[in-house]
This record gives sequence, structure tokens and C-alpha cells, in this order.
Amino acid sequence: MAATDTQLMLSVGLIEKDVNADTLWVWCFPSVSAELREVLLRKCCLTQDSNELHTFVFGQFCRTWYYITTVEVQEPTVLNKVTHFSVIITAKDFNPEKYAAFSRVLCRMYMKHGSPVKMMEGYIAVLTKGICQSDENGSFFIKDYDVRKAYLAGSIKDVVSQFGMETIILYTALMLKKRIVVYHPRVEALLEFTRALPALTWHRKDWSILHPYVHLNDRELDNLRLCTGYVAGFVDPEVSNRSDLFDVYVNLPDSEITISQSAKETMAMGKLHKEIGHFIVQSAEDTDRTDAQVIKDISVKTREILTNLVSLAEECENSKLTLESLKQRHFPPATENFLFHLAAAEQLLKI
Amino acid sequence: MEEVDKILIHSLRQTGTDIGEDVESVKQFSSELIVEAVVRCLRVIDPALGNGLSPSLPPGMSARFRLGMSLAQACQDLGYKGEIGYQTFLYSNEPEIRSLLMFLVEKLPRESAETSDQPAGKSVLLQKAIAAQIKAQLALPWLPPSCRLPLHYKTQTPGPSYSFHAQPLSVPYSLKGSSKKQPKEVREYYRDYLLPVTAQPSQPISVPASLLENHASELSAAQEWENEWNSQGLLTRLTPEEYRSRKRARLQKRIEEQLRSTAQPRPDSHSATRSTSDLAEFLNSFGGTSAGGNVLTKGTRFTHTEKFTFTQEPEKAAQQMAAAANSLPSSHQSEEDLKAQQQEEISGLQQQLQQLSVQIEEVGGEMRQLTVSISQVSDELKQREVRNTEKEDSVRVKKQTIDLLPDAENNLVKLQSLVESSAKRVVHLASQWEKHRGPLIDEHRRLKELCSNKEMESSRMLSEIKDLHDKIRQSADEAKKKEGLYKQLITEYETLPKDVSRSAYTMRILEIVGNIKKQKEEITKILSDTKELQKEINGLTGKLDRTFAVTDELVFKDAKKDESVRKSYKYLAALHENCTQLIQTIEDTGTIMREIRDLEEQIETEYGKKTVSNLEKILEDYKAIRQENSALAAKIREG
Repeated sequence: MAATDTQLMLSVGLIEKDVNADTLWVWCFPSVSAELREVLLRKCCLTQDSNELHTFVFGQFCRTWYYITTVEVQEPTVLNKVTHFSVIITAKDFNPEKYAAFSRVLCRMYMKHGSPVKMMEGYIAVLTKGICQSDENGSFFIKDYDVRKAYLAGSIKDVVSQFGMETIILYTALMLKKRIVVYHPRVEALLEFTRALPALTWHRKDWSILHPYVHLNDRELDNLRLCTGYVAGFVDPEVSNRSDLFDVYVNLPDSEITISQSAKETMAMGKLHKEIGHFIVQSAEDTDRTDAQVIKDISVKTREILTNLVSLAEECENSKLTLESLKQRHFPPATENFLFHLAAAEQLLKI
Repeated sequence: MEEVDKILIHSLRQTGTDIGEDVESVKQFSSELIVEAVVRCLRVIDPALGNGLSPSLPPGMSARFRLGMSLAQACQDLGYKGEIGYQTFLYSNEPEIRSLLMFLVEKLPRESAETSDQPAGKSVLLQKAIAAQIKAQLALPWLPPSCRLPLHYKTQTPGPSYSFHAQPLSVPYSLKGSSKKQPKEVREYYRDYLLPVTAQPSQPISVPASLLENHASELSAAQEWENEWNSQGLLTRLTPEEYRSRKRARLQKRIEEQLRSTAQPRPDSHSATRSTSDLAEFLNSFGGTSAGGNVLTKGTRFTHTEKFTFTQEPEKAAQQMAAAANSLPSSHQSEEDLKAQQQEEISGLQQQLQQLSVQIEEVGGEMRQLTVSISQVSDELKQREVRNTEKEDSVRVKKQTIDLLPDAENNLVKLQSLVESSAKRVVHLASQWEKHRGPLIDEHRRLKELCSNKEMESSRMLSEIKDLHDKIRQSADEAKKKEGLYKQLITEYETLPKDVSRSAYTMRILEIVGNIKKQKEEITKILSDTKELQKEINGLTGKLDRTFAVTDELVFKDAKKDESVRKSYKYLAALHENCTQLIQTIEDTGTIMREIRDLEEQIETEYGKKTVSNLEKILEDYKAIRQENSALAAKIREG
């Protein structure tokens, strides 16, 4: 509904870089805490030493999603002394396309009028009515951007084509709510890859585990540690030395997946995993099937396993699974281990 | 000529020739003097050559003759190109003697070669003086102790030698207008109580050593400070005092850290506890104000570990003793019993091991179970918390909606208008805020620009200052060097002998050079004039010949017919003949004049050779030789 959607936006902010090569947080509405401001300044490419411009970057911090659009100021403009600026929108929901479009509109407004007041008007219009008039390409309708589309926008086929059978490691890690760290020097590639991963556990539709852009900063890492399982993306190659942060480490440019020592026991994989892996690869390689269909196939398979598990649990008291009852089935040890931990992740385990 | 003679006489005097004060020119040299001069020169030039010849003319004629021959030979060996023989020395004439002496004087080794390379500074001078002293001392022959004069005591007896033992000295500082004044007590101390530097060391022998060390340390400290200040200090844009105090604080911190890190007691080092607690106390006192709270905790940590290690000690010792006691083999039991006992022990231990491993497995399994359930529970907890907050929010909204629900339509309209009005208000506030914010941001940017400009300026000026410092240093060094050189040269100049004035000579030489140039110019002019004249003469003679030939032919043609023309032809021929004779006579006159001039010059030189007196001398010597010959012949005949 449009009403609830509009309440998801939290704030809008503006960062400018001027001719003195000084980057300042110049304006925000309604307010942004100092902590979040510090994080956002770090994420904004204008504060980084390299001159690369990342047009659109998003991420999560303390359950708040932020979307940063950076634009270089082109002549003719009212803004003198400003070389670049970024518009930041914070919101509670994950929907990069929606906020990218919206912030583009806001950027154009700002560039044209030179005053954030116009931006604010647009923001309030969207907040109250769900629609914003844009001077150029028509209006911005919040209704056009459904959250399901955002979830499905990531390409699972690309993931499978890059890693092949090793995708099963990612699947297992996600199912068992483990910590995955992905490294790639380019932010855009990182964002694109990581946003597709939570789709492997479609039954949960939980994108709050996704932290696509994290720096090796204490505050951000503390925030990360609060989550039991997460998918975190880093551009800093130093993260490979931080084995305390991950159970699975994905080196994207080298296409390598490593499982850390401490997690090897819980992530042991057997026949069941091989089967699932084959299935995933087959489904993704089929050129006739779209991304959405591949995700659907995987979720069907997942549901099979879960119904199996639930049925096992029902036979026990309180419909909670115990290790003994699992052992009675005489599953192969890897499968038994997997099901045990999966039950814990799905909260089917007797405490 | 006079100057040349003066220079010659001066150089000869320097070689050791005893030339009388009144002898002014080479013309006044007698044969004895000539011989002495030549021999001394030869001795200086080539000692081997000269030592065999005696500087004084022997009385005997034949001996003189022999000496003359050997001298001539020696001079020719040296490379004298002119004609030389015994007669040059015995029956001399001025020009020959002059040229010979000039050749010899030129051959003299240049004693000025030593002083021509300019000494480079005081240290080189000092070294040269030291070298000269040592050379002089080495030149003195070694004498046995009993024969030594007091002159030799310093250099040849082994005197007492002292080791280089330096003691720290206390020197009062003179403050030249510095900001802090010395307290009165310090000044009083310096004035009344501080001993002079020569009395400060315990033994007077160490005074020079201590002074040297003190001076060297001050000098090196000043230099190092200069270097550091010029390289790093200026860059920090602090005053020297600030820079020094910061540096001191920094160094103190580093020392503290190092000491603390090395003083951390390791739990298994029993013996070091006492020393580390001492060090800990020292560090605590050293740490000063900043370590306040930490001091206490650190102190207790140290004491804790101390206690821990101490309690461990007696425990360990007891254990060790017990183990030792148990392992003592009781010699009463036999071997078999011993083996059986050991077997029992082994089996017992193995059982224990098995039990323990089973226990460990169980515990491990339990731990896994617990960790998994912990993760599940915490996960559930988090999810519930999130859902709770969401639900709270939705409950709040729904409550408000329910409150408004009875009068739905109106409230909806009211709400919408409220939303619109508050939106407008917010926008209005935002525009007001923008009016404030805009100028502030602009001001901020402007100031930042100014700041960065100033920084660039200041760094540029800093680099300029550095350059200036370098230049100052360089100029100071150069000035010092030049001053030293100047002083040295002045002293040298004063010690130089003043009998030969160089400036007079240089003036004369320059004058002569100028004269020669003028003469050269005149000569070239005359030559060119002569050439012109010669050309003219040639031209005229040619013209004359041609004219005569033409006239001759012309007249001769007509001469066959006419009588008067024949007569005029005869006159023409006679005229031509006479004129040619006239010209010839003039030319002859000129030649004869030249010959007369040459002959006059020759007469002059011959007069200079004083041939007559020489001939008389030769005749006398010839007679003397004949007498000697006859005397010798008589001696031989006698026996």
C-alpha cells in the first residue's frame, strides 16, 4: 500500500564537495544522527582519496538502508564552488531501484535550483502523497517500485555461472545462517553480487542479513556482529585476514570460496548437498529459464527439505527436534549434521 | 741591465756566494768571484756535480786551468748551449758571463715552488708547522743520555706521559639577552663559589683533556642543534623553545613505554619478580600525572602476579618433592615384583585415560548442542524483538486511527489539510533555514580557501628561509676561510725579506712590455712604408725602362734621316747612361753606410771584451805555466 510504503523513508541528506577539495555534510531533513552521518560520509565516494565516482551505492547500517547517488556538477548551474554532490536517502526497506530513481529526480532538482528547499518539497510530496513531479522525465510514482521486483533484481544465474558447483557452499551457509564475507575491489560488482545471495533462501525473504558495503571500521563491525548470520561485502582486501568475521570467505575477482577452520565442522557437506548442487547448476544453466524461475526452482527444493524436517520434528514432543530422534533415522553423518543445524536455524530444535 | 744584474746578484747571494756590498753589476765580477758563484750554483742545482769542485781559485796555473775546464764541462753537462771553455772563467768578458750566470740562476730549483700553492687554511698551516718542528727535531742527531744538552731533553728523553683522562667541568653559562633570567642564587654561586676551570678536575694533569672534551661536546651539540633545527625544526613552524619541550616530552614517553614493555613480568619467571617490582615502582614515579589511575591497577597487577608466582613456587616445589619421593625406587623389592607393579600402574592409567576421553567426548557433544541451541535462541530473540518494535509502531498508528474513526470523513479531510499545512510550514521553515545556511557554508568555503592559500604562502616562505639559511651558512664559511687566509698571508708577507722589491720589477716589466709594443708598431709602420717605397721604385724603374725603349726606338727611326734627331738621340743615350750611374752611386752609398754601422757595433763589442788585458794576462799565465813546467821537469830529473 502506498501509505505504508511512504512511511519507510527516514531522511534525506546532502553532501557536497567544493573547489577546495573539501567534503562537507551540508544539509539533511529531518535529521540524521551523528553516528550515521559519520558512516555515510565514509561510504560516500567523495571522501575517498581516489577520484572514481560511484554513481549509486547502497548499504545497511543498524537496520537502516541508505542509498547514495553521486553526481558531478555540470555547467550551466546555479551552484558555484561545488564540484560534486551526493544525495543520500535513508529508509527502512530494501529497494535500490526505487530509491535510485527518486534520488536521481532529487539530484536534478538540486542541480537546477541550487537550493535544497526544492529537494525537500519533492521529498515531502513523496512522503505524503507517494508521487513527485519531476521537471524532466515525467513523475515519480512510488507505486511503480514493488519490493518483490527488488528482491528478484539480483541475477542468481550469474552467481551460479561464476561458481558452478561451489554455489552449494553459499546455499548451505545461507540456510544455516552462517556469516559470509564477499570481497571485490569494485563497489558496483560487490553490490550486484551480494544482493542476489539472499534469494537462495527465498522462503525467508529476509534481506536484512545483507550488508553489501562494509568498511573495516569498529563501529560498523560491531553492528555486523549483532547479527547471527549475514552476507557482508568489503572492498578492502585486508578482510581476508580477519577470520573472526566470517565462516565463508568469497574472493570474487579470483572466484574462490574458502570455509574458515572454525566452521568446517558445521558446514560439512555430503550426498544431499551434492544432489542439491547439481540441481541448482542444472536449473541455472538452462537458458530458457529466467532468474525468477531459477529462484523458484531452488525455493521448491528448499521447501521439500523443510517439510521433511518439519515432519521429523512433529514426531517428537512439542514438535521440536532432538538430536537423539535425528540419530535414530540413521542418516549419513553429513546429512545428519546439516539437518541438525538447519533445525536450529529454522527454530525447530528442542532447547 | 742594472735590474738584471741586481736580480742576478741577489740570487747568487742566496746560493751562498759572498758578493761584496759594493758590487753592483756583473762587469765588476772578478774571476775568483765568478768561479765561486758558478760553483755554488752548481752545488745547489746538482750537489753531485758541484761537490767535486772547489769554489776558490787555486793559485797554481795548471790547477786553475783544470778547474776552468771542469767548470766548463759541468756547465755544458747541465745544458748550456753557448760556447764555453776555461777562458770564460779565467779570461772573462761581460756578455758571456752574464748569459752564463742567467742560465745557471734559471736552473736553480725554485724555492718558491713551496709557497706558490696557496695554503688552504689554518689547519694546514698548523700541520705544516708540526711537520717542520718534527723535521727539525729528527734532524738533530741522537746523543747518548750522558751527552745530552738541555736542548735535547724534550725530544730525546722519555718524559712522563699522561693518559687522556677527562673529567666533567662546570662552566657558567652566559645568557645573551635570553628571556629567562638566571636566579640570583645561581649567579652568586657562579661568582663566589664555582672554582675556575683549571682547579676543578681532581688532578691538574686532566685539565687539558677535560677542557678539550668540554669544548668538543659543546661544539658538537651546537652543530647538531643547528642541523636539526634547519632540517626539521623550521618545518614544524614552532619556536625553538616549544620545539625543544615537545621533543623532550616525546622522548620521555618513549622511554617510559620501552621500560614498561620490557618490565612486564612473565608468569614463569620466578627470579625476576623482585627486580621487576622495583622497576615498576620506579616507572610509577616516572609516569607522572597522566598515569594516575593506571598506576594503582598496574601496581596491583604486579603484586598479583608476584603473589601468584610466589604461591606457585611452594606448590610446585611440594609437587616436585612428592614426585621425587614417589619415584625413589625402594631397593628392597625384587625385579619381578617391580615389573608386576609397573604393569598394574599402566593398566590403571589406561583405564583412566579411556574414561577421560569418553567424558571429553560427552562434554564436547553437549557443548555443541548447547552452542547450537544458544544460536537458535538468540536468533529467535532477535527476530521477536524486531517484530515487537514493528508491532508497537503499527499498534500506535492503529490506535490513533481508531480514535479518529468515529468521525471518519471529517477527520480524513482534517488530516489531509493538516498534512498539507504542516508540509507547507516545513517547507517555509526550510527556506528560512536555507537563508541562514547558505551564507554560512559560503563563509566556511571562503575561509577554507584563505587558509589553504596562507598555507601555501607559508610553506613557500619556509623554503625561502631554508635557502637563505643555507646561503648564510655558506657565506659565513667562506668569509671565515677568506679571513683566515688573509691573516695568514699578511703574516707571511711581513716575514718575507724586503730587499728585493717585486713591485718595482713588475712596473719595469710592464713598462718594457709597453715600450716593446710601441716599438713593434713603429717597426711595422716603417716596414710598410719601406714596402711602399720599394713598390714605387720598382714601378718607376719599369716605367723608365719602357719609356726609354719607346723613345729610343722612335728617335732611332727618325735618326737615320735627320741629323738633329741623331744628335738628340746621342744626348738621350748619354742622359740615360748618366742617370743610371747616379742611381747606382746612391745605392752604393747606402750599402756603405750600413757597413759602417755594422763595423761600429763590432768595435763596441770588441772593446767590451777587454781583449788587451786578457791577452796580457794570458801571456803572464803562459809564462807562469812554462815556469811551473820547467820546475816540475827539474823536480822529476832530480828524483
